[in-house]
Amino acid sequence: MLQEESDLSLIIAQIVQKLKGSNLYSQLERQAWASLQRPEIKLESLKEDIKEFFKISGWEKKLQNAVYSELSVFPLPSHPAAPPEHLKEPLVYMRKAQGSWEKRILKSLNSMCTELSIPLARKRPVGEQKELLNKWNEMGTDEPDLSLFRPVYAPKDFLEVLINLRNPNYENGDSLSFRTHLGLIQVPLKVKDIPELKECFVELGLNTGQLGIDDSTQVPPELFENEHVRIGQKVLAEQDSAAAQQYIRQGSPTALRAELWALILNISSEPEDVLYYEQLKTNVIQHDLLVDSLIYKVLLCFSRDTSVLSHFAYNSASPPKSYIRGKLGLEEYAVFYPPNGVIPFHGFSMYVAPLCFLYHEPSKLYQIFREMYVRFFFRLHSISSHPSGIVSLCLLFETLLQTYLPQLFYHLREIGAQPLRISFKWMVRAFSGYLATDQLLLLWDRILGYNSLEILAVLAAAVFAFRAVNLMEVTSLAAAEAVLADLSTLKVMPLLQIFLFATVT
Amino acid sequence: MSRVLVPCHVKGTVALQVGDVRTSQGRPGVLVIDVTFPSVAPFELQEITFKNYYTAFLSIRVRHHPSAHTPAKWVTCLRDYCLMPDPHSEEGAQEYVSLFRHQSPSMTFPKWLSHPVPCEQPALLCEGLPDPSRVSSEVQQMWALTEMIRASHTSARIGRFDVDGCYDLNLLSYT
Repeated sequence: MLQEESDLSLIIAQIVQKLKGSNLYSQLERQAWASLQRPEIKLESLKEDIKEFFKISGWEKKLQNAVYSELSVFPLPSHPAAPPEHLKEPLVYMRKAQGSWEKRILKSLNSMCTELSIPLARKRPVGEQKELLNKWNEMGTDEPDLSLFRPVYAPKDFLEVLINLRNPNYENGDSLSFRTHLGLIQVPLKVKDIPELKECFVELGLNTGQLGIDDSTQVPPELFENEHVRIGQKVLAEQDSAAAQQYIRQGSPTALRAELWALILNISSEPEDVLYYEQLKTNVIQHDLLVDSLIYKVLLCFSRDTSVLSHFAYNSASPPKSYIRGKLGLEEYAVFYPPNGVIPFHGFSMYVAPLCFLYHEPSKLYQIFREMYVRFFFRLHSISSHPSGIVSLCLLFETLLQTYLPQLFYHLREIGAQPLRISFKWMVRAFSGYLATDQLLLLWDRILGYNSLEILAVLAAAVFAFRAVNLMEVTSLAAAEAVLADLSTLKVMPLLQIFLFATVT
Repeated sequence: MSRVLVPCHVKGTVALQVGDVRTSQGRPGVLVIDVTFPSVAPFELQEITFKNYYTAFLSIRVRHHPSAHTPAKWVTCLRDYCLMPDPHSEEGAQEYVSLFRHQSPSMTFPKWLSHPVPCEQPALLCEGLPDPSRVSSEVQQMWALTEMIRASHTSARIGRFDVDGCYDLNLLSYT
């Protein structure tokens, strides 16, 4: 068999394997059985008739969406000889760096535990459970009292680790040349340049209509907006994930956004999903975790969700392990902590907050967040060589700045204001909390549309380009921070479009 | 068809360098690895598998003894096969690679090394994707590979995070 064919067979086999365990599979089986009653299903052409029935009834579309979802999330099958760690992260030195970083976090959490004499997990007494259940609906987005707890880590600490990443096989040479990278990131990952970015983000070009630009009040809606909304409604009626993903590259109309995101992330609201959420809520009520002090309601459920563990197959990070008290080293008593394996950092809740504007039904909001996390957000706080990983985003940002705004880059370096020190916190939080909400949602539309986080680095560079004039006049890091402190008035789409398509390079 | 690992002896790398080998300047860009096969019986080589470590291009040469009377001859099987599309960046630097007999027109093994089965001619690569229904009927052959993948994935839906209702933990462990 040819290499291409065997690769395709392998992908098909892997996807079939994954879908076999899913809800959709049992639904399809049931539907197929039930369809035997139908007059148009004939025994002599059974297979074809059932396939036709699936097509007409919309079940084929659901299957296509599920397959498309798998293709988007799971990396392509790797070489049969490659061990599981290779799938998580192919570069050994990155894996080691991630391991050390994780160890630091675990030590920090353990110290917090012993210093404050608070256990990692505690079964709530019945009275407390009742009280929490009553209070649940009022909890909303109130920030709990965090005064006693210091954050496990802040983005700044993580940045220091990334700055110290080195490839042991890489020789930079002592002499400076035009090739020398003047930024903070010193690992040679491949990042795109502007011509490649233009090709990748072609739908953001000057000749394509955009929401965030061509729907502004001065532009008559007949020119773009009305037609775009009409197409969006059609895409939703067709329930086609791939079409929705393509469509949303030009932005989503506000009224359609919640449904479009759900379609792209392949989230359906079956009764099982509501029940699953209720089960998670019960787990929250029953057990109090030390990590709870660091997060809000949706995240409380997220911490108890063991299905999140499966994403560690392609995440360079690994879930922390612990043992039941008194059973140290006994594998039957080994557990993950927290149950979902994700220790939240300071500001983690910012990944959830924007979604609260779109979804009001708790279990739907929960599912959307969880899917966004295992597809995108996890890459922002683990060390990997993936093109959407935070290391690549940092390098992309610095390279764009050094290549296309060399004077600005050099000036900021001279005054001790390495640009990455300012933009890192924006990218790590996917700009949540920095942009106005409507602008943030337009940005996250494109993350979904292009299935990549690279747009965060491009936007960060575009922001620097936009404020270049002011930045050239500052003489200290503090002053540079002040110029870039308030992003709440920025309009993201024009910034991106100008930076990519309208700047002379 | 059953496939077997061929015992081979992989020697240490030798740098190809012009001039004084002891000079530290001028790092060689070409290294040679000798692979010998201690078993004498002839075999059909199907696949070469290795893990790359920052090699950008690979050439393979084979030494061929046609008979006792003619001298041994070196034949190039693969020339400058690209493993790293951009040698200054990490792409492909630590990947697992397999090279197959039928892989590409440039990969030809001399006749004595392989006995092509008459009906198994290498098909043209370009004409678009193969027919999916034909491919999916060949899925049977791939189950062995999927079993390996399944075994290595943490895709189990665990559900419960406690041990018999207990989640009383001491401290996190470093492994």
